[in-house]
Amino acid sequence: MTCLQGLPTLQEIVNLVLRIITSRTFLEVVFFPGFLNVMLSAAFLTWLERKVIARVQLRIGPLYAGISGILQPIADGVKLMFKETIFPELADTKLLMLCALGLMLLAFAPAVAIPFGEGFVIANMDVGLVYVFAVLSLFPSVILLIGWASNSKYPFLGGLRSLFQQVAYEIPMWLSVLGIVMLTGTLNLTKIVEAQQRLWFVVPQVLGFAVFFTAALAELERTPFDLPEAETELVMGWMTELSGVPFMIGFLAMYTKLYVMSALITTLFLGGWSGPGFVPQPVWVLLKTFLVASVIVVIRGSFPRVRVDILLKTGWTRLLLLALVNILVTVALISFGLDWVWRI
Amino acid sequence: MPDIVFLTLSGLVIVSAIFALEARELIYGAVGLAFSLIGVAGLFILLGAEYLAMFQVSVYVGAVVVLILFTIMLVRRESGRIVEEEEPGRLGRAGILVAGLVALAVAGAVILVVPMSLEAPEFHGIPLRELGRYLASSYAVALVILGILIGATVVGGLTLVKVEREETNSGAAQ
Repeated sequence: MTCLQGLPTLQEIVNLVLRIITSRTFLEVVFFPGFLNVMLSAAFLTWLERKVIARVQLRIGPLYAGISGILQPIADGVKLMFKETIFPELADTKLLMLCALGLMLLAFAPAVAIPFGEGFVIANMDVGLVYVFAVLSLFPSVILLIGWASNSKYPFLGGLRSLFQQVAYEIPMWLSVLGIVMLTGTLNLTKIVEAQQRLWFVVPQVLGFAVFFTAALAELERTPFDLPEAETELVMGWMTELSGVPFMIGFLAMYTKLYVMSALITTLFLGGWSGPGFVPQPVWVLLKTFLVASVIVVIRGSFPRVRVDILLKTGWTRLLLLALVNILVTVALISFGLDWVWRI
Repeated sequence: MPDIVFLTLSGLVIVSAIFALEARELIYGAVGLAFSLIGVAGLFILLGAEYLAMFQVSVYVGAVVVLILFTIMLVRRESGRIVEEEEPGRLGRAGILVAGLVALAVAGAVILVVPMSLEAPEFHGIPLRELGRYLASSYAVALVILGILIGATVVGGLTLVKVEREETNSGAAQ
């Protein structure tokens, strides 16, 4: 508002810009837990996935760009940037681009709530957990819109399948973290990590962890729930008609979502930044995140795809039931007075 | 600073609500509605009701997907062409005129009567813990009744679907 009262001098503007650039929040948002970290992690995950899948299939994987092919994602990005962007003639190009960008934004958004150390988080929200779930619940609409805007059969079918499975698995996902919220009495992700200093939640909440992990696989459209993509049936699912830069954005968005989901599993169940002190806290978070992501990738290398009816039946009956059982177990834990372990 | 945020959010809500009503394609209307509801969630955050804002996004904006789905399923798309709009008749024009005059009168009355300010009102939402305590004590009966109502709705829906399926099955058998 100071700018409006008389014209500011150049010196004042420069000072203001410098103050903003060197502020802690700005650095956090742009560099470490924020944009650059998420972007690089997503790129790294594409390399990790190709390497791990190659090992599972007794291949070598990317090899020539950089040490052991680690620069391959950059090469891929440059290639996609220079490719021609092709859309179907009757596709809704504007809506398609808007949705691709929106998908990227949505994939980034939950990352601001993930704590990377004591007091080292971009947005320390009291409703952090609900915020993450709220953002995740917006994915199906954008994906369905991409499928519709492509004006083509396969993307639309892929979008519909994605919608069904994401909506179905959202409910067990919400319920599976309820046990943690009951034990800690907070929705703040930083406080949830602080509560795990004595014992990680994966131990008392093993059922919740199993349900959350399965639901996360479905939300991420990873094997065995990758029906929206199912190459042999739907070409590339809702991404079929994306090409060039929009494809790169959509592809990177899905890997960003993989990173965010792994980080969320780390935060909720694997103790977040807690670990032996000889390694800095943020490194622990990243290590655990990439470990969870590699497990998800190995599952892709070893399991077949499930049928649609099995997927929906599992989501609505088995997982829901397991999540409710988990809540009962938590109630028993609290009523036996064992919840002192996680009290802050 | 909150003034700018408040004005921007209000602008977003109003403009996207108008867009939602006026868009030729229903899908665009649904997208506009989603943006409008996100703006409302932003206003909730400004008022200190973060929990409400998150649920506004999760429940209302998330439900827009169902709206989109129904639009796609029920409205036929004329292979990308914009459907010709019919010219309003004499009666239609008169209706628009009357509606505009009424809207003007109401807006004028509101501006004259209600004290207007461009600043966000000072209000701090109740903390989540307090809200939970209210829901579990004073409003427990209402909560239980709501739960039963929703449960009855789900059961009713399932019954309808099941009856229809049985009918189609017997039809196929004949």
